[in-house]
Amino acid sequence: MSKNILFSAKNIVKSFHGTQALKEVDLDVYEGEVVGLVGENGAGKSTLMKIIIGVQPQGSGEMYLRGKPFQPHDPLEANAEGIGMVYQEQSLITTLSVGQNLFFGHEKEFMQMGIVNWKKMYAEAAAVLSEVGCEDINPRKKVIDLNFATRQMVEIAKVVNVTKEASTDGKCLILLDEPTSVLNETEVKRLFQEIRKLTAKGHSVIFVSHRLDEVLEISDRIYVYKDGENAGNMNVADATEAILYERMVGHETNSEYYHLDKQVIPKEEVVLEAKDLGCRGKFKHVNFQLHKGEILGFCGVVGSGKEEICSVFCGDESPDFGELIVKGRKTKYSAPYQALNDGILMIPMERMVEGVIRGLSVEDNIALSNAGRLSKRGMISRKRVSEQAVEWIRRLRIKTSGKEELVIQLSGGNQQKVVFARVLASESDVVILNHPTRGVDVGAKEEIYGLIRDMVAEGKSVILLGDTLDECIGMSNRVLIMRDGLVTGELDAAVDAKPSQVSIISMMV
Amino acid sequence: MEEKNQAALDIREEFAAKVKADNRKEKLMKWAPVGVLAALILVFCILKGRSFLSLSNLVSILNQWSLPLLVALGLTFVIMIGSIDLSIDGTVGMVGSLTAIFVANSKNTVNLGVLGLLLAILCSVVVGFLIGVIHVKFKIPSFMVSFAFMNICIGIGMLSYSGKPATIRDPLMTAIPKASFLGVPVITWIAIAVLVLCYYIQEYTPFGRHVYAVGTDETIPKAVGINVNKVKIKVFTLAGFCYGVAGVIGALRLGQGQIAIGTDQMFPAQAAVVIGGTALTGGKGGVMNTVVGTLIMTVLINGLTMMGVDPNIKTGIQGVIILAAVILTIKHGSAVISK
Amino acid sequence: MNKLKTNKAYFATYFSMAVIICLVLIFTIMEKSFINSSNINNLLSDTAPLMIMAAGMTPVILIGSIDLSVGAMCSVSNVLVVSFIMKFKDTIYADWFIMLVTFVTTLVFAVIAGIILGLIHVKLKVPSFIASLAFMSIWNSAALLISNSPISIPKKLWGTIDWYKISIGPLGYPLVIAFLIIIGYYVILTRTSLGRGIYAIGANERAARMSGIAVDRIKITVFAVNGFCAALGAIFLMAKAKSCAPTVGDSFTLMVISAVVLGGTALIGGSGNILNTILGVFIVSIIKNGMNIVSINVYWQKVVFGVVVLIAIAINTDRSSRSFIVK
Repeated sequence: MSKNILFSAKNIVKSFHGTQALKEVDLDVYEGEVVGLVGENGAGKSTLMKIIIGVQPQGSGEMYLRGKPFQPHDPLEANAEGIGMVYQEQSLITTLSVGQNLFFGHEKEFMQMGIVNWKKMYAEAAAVLSEVGCEDINPRKKVIDLNFATRQMVEIAKVVNVTKEASTDGKCLILLDEPTSVLNETEVKRLFQEIRKLTAKGHSVIFVSHRLDEVLEISDRIYVYKDGENAGNMNVADATEAILYERMVGHETNSEYYHLDKQVIPKEEVVLEAKDLGCRGKFKHVNFQLHKGEILGFCGVVGSGKEEICSVFCGDESPDFGELIVKGRKTKYSAPYQALNDGILMIPMERMVEGVIRGLSVEDNIALSNAGRLSKRGMISRKRVSEQAVEWIRRLRIKTSGKEELVIQLSGGNQQKVVFARVLASESDVVILNHPTRGVDVGAKEEIYGLIRDMVAEGKSVILLGDTLDECIGMSNRVLIMRDGLVTGELDAAVDAKPSQVSIISMMV
Repeated sequence: MEEKNQAALDIREEFAAKVKADNRKEKLMKWAPVGVLAALILVFCILKGRSFLSLSNLVSILNQWSLPLLVALGLTFVIMIGSIDLSIDGTVGMVGSLTAIFVANSKNTVNLGVLGLLLAILCSVVVGFLIGVIHVKFKIPSFMVSFAFMNICIGIGMLSYSGKPATIRDPLMTAIPKASFLGVPVITWIAIAVLVLCYYIQEYTPFGRHVYAVGTDETIPKAVGINVNKVKIKVFTLAGFCYGVAGVIGALRLGQGQIAIGTDQMFPAQAAVVIGGTALTGGKGGVMNTVVGTLIMTVLINGLTMMGVDPNIKTGIQGVIILAAVILTIKHGSAVISK
Repeated sequence: MNKLKTNKAYFATYFSMAVIICLVLIFTIMEKSFINSSNINNLLSDTAPLMIMAAGMTPVILIGSIDLSVGAMCSVSNVLVVSFIMKFKDTIYADWFIMLVTFVTTLVFAVIAGIILGLIHVKLKVPSFIASLAFMSIWNSAALLISNSPISIPKKLWGTIDWYKISIGPLGYPLVIAFLIIIGYYVILTRTSLGRGIYAIGANERAARMSGIAVDRIKITVFAVNGFCAALGAIFLMAKAKSCAPTVGDSFTLMVISAVVLGGTALIGGSGNILNTILGVFIVSIIKNGMNIVSINVYWQKVVFGVVVLIAIAINTDRSSRSFIVK
């Protein structure tokens, strides 16, 4: 590993809709090294990657590549400078062959007298594949016939090829965003072999992942991001999973933040029960009970199955196995409206896409889930819709110019409050909160925590998927920990006996 | 550690197994159209034996195959990018009508010979180009733009002969439909020539690869700097060309220029493309799939006619076939939103 | 819903009214008999079927779908109802009874057809344009199979269609019914949860579903009612012509879509006011009637409507907010 800095980012700041995603972060990458980048969801890792590859510009701050200022306006420019990214979502065209994907967009280079000389291209493709150590992949095979691990390798080969051509000294920087999420152990090992071959040739890699053990295995140095800031960087020799996690989540926040004084002891009555619930490929053998007045928190990394479970509860998906028991009755939901009839409603994770209808007004959004109840003899009185909106705007302190303002013009935090208003107005007694504070600023977060406490005091029951481990522990009465689709632990989280983050982490990863 | 890996394997294994099963099903479905064709031929052989397999009927099938093949070839590219083209009946009819008045005919003194044929084809190329441009620039769904143009083209076609169709008098033109080469009608050879051209475009040009990409996921080619809009416009223009050749051949065969040349061309073509295995969602299939699909449709219609089925039922059956083919090939699941 | 109050909606209404006035002026200048009372009566009575079908089509477009089979549905209902009436040719049942039996049967058939189309679209996830395209060919076929050529209703049975001639002032009975239907729809769309659901689905189907709106049910209802309206329009056509024809509905599909779009309803759904559809219907009706009066070739009419619908959609499409992909 040489001592030359290949890439450097300094004081990068980035905001979206009023929330700061990155607050002056730094990152340095030397030639021939693997830099691991870890952090919880929303810590800013993906945002920084998008800035480096040119999908987004930074708000302020500088980047340097090989000592010269670097400011890509789009991914093609970044590619031209020798930076390439392998995204979490695959970007190969499955109906074309490996070779055609590798050179997609560059077919003209192989044209002879109006025909593309595939033979020549496949020969070059084979060369590119062996360059990254994948001699065994047949370039003529169609991508749809390959398994995910092989596809991942092809993606890497494609990125390396594009960037290598372009960079002046032939050394590139490859960004890998969650590359192992669909790989099994052997395939991960193979991937690591290829990464080491790359770095041996002088290329550098930024490895973003939530799998700490893997990050520790492959990286030379590790950066930890938390809440959009640098929470530390260290050589791999000085890092362990526990140390990393401590940096990632920080110390427990004070009890007032989560309104611990308002934490209620749940009743005995069971409102929702899952018996051996399973969804093929997503989760299985899930058992638990939700009591009245309880906040049940689910902890787990992305892919642990907790989001998919919520889809089943709110009626969006049907489970393949097991039973759902709602208020003592076995039920099957084929659509969310049926769950709503039983009093179950979810605040979705993707607020902009699934939580609000941006083209409608505040008052119409709030009335989406309970319009039927506002009607007399089938006619919905617009007056009652307005009155309802005015009341919720006041109670939740939604910052808006009026109940008729279109939701699209509100800030993220206020849009979320509109979603809360809708859910509360629906008078559902089981509320599923899927990352309720995502993309919301600190002040609004605290308000929302207070809201959740109030809800429970009125007798509602809540399933909470927290954005951070801290949030989950702080808000819940009980915590269920999931990993790879199974429940790996259940801990009590009474006010005076909150579990430590470290104890939970071991069950999460 | 051991436990953790076991659990992880289970979920991931399930997921991988599911994907493998889906892939296997898809591979099987690839051969389904050929199977259907074989079954059809078998059924009609049993039902009508001698007359179905007779030389004259086979030549007849080849003849009947030409027009649908040409039309479906153009449509294939459109469907591969995930769009649709409802203008076919109009475009083909319009070109058919124009053909008759551009060459030596009974109504006017224009006599442009082969140039006239090319001119007629140019008209549908222009229409295709316009459909592509309007679809792309104004972001109007392709079904709507092409539907509107169908009506426009029918109107133009009908206006060109105002109720009294022109009869073609050019000696070369009247001879073509009757000629054969190696036992196969010249008209079919023309269709095959266009087939070869389309295959070449699909397999041996960058444009062909880009078509697959645009159909699979537009964002990928866009990210690589490919002008997706240009690809789409080219696709519709190419389709227009194919429809034009079909219109010309239709007119030559009929000996007259009438809007009816285009009537009922669209449904069999749609059915043929879908049955052949080119998915409506785009990115899959291709020209060879359409060859099988059009053969299926032609054999089916030929057989049904032989059996004396009411001609009015034909379109209805095509509608049912389209539905069945789409239902079988479309992706299901609650996450899919179709409009 | 509050769509009414936005500036764009006001603009659309005034624009449509201006267009109508311009058209009337242009046609009157070209042919003075355009505005004499017999033509106006003709125009108004011709408009009724189109108005009813456009009323049914508006919610379909509002949810973001399309029904290309509406013309074929009209044709087959038209032929069906007359075939049913003819079955009573040699009986002595009362006129109202015949009307009741035949009309209700046809309407029920159309509703069921709409439900089937809706089910295929919703449960089998077939895009509405292709499902309705397939049904277009099926119903066209069916119409031709039931009757290859027009059937005239014999004088004896004219009692079943006399109501068509009743009028209240210049407005014929049929047109009044059409207006009432549109007003009824307006109330449903603005004051019931079904109506709110329709707008929500068109604006963001996923969010609507997650909010507990019964998306599937609403979509099927919309298609069922569209079928009903197509059949009702067919009955009106039959009553006016005193006969049926298996291709009567062919030109209607494009006209109905044009009317709805000219009324300011966007093709992607989620916005639009059905009261404005009335104006769109009149624009289409005036163009058609005007072109006939001025003796413009009927073939030109096809060209004109094709161009009109494209222009109408192009104007109405909000290109700036279109971040998603159009196919």
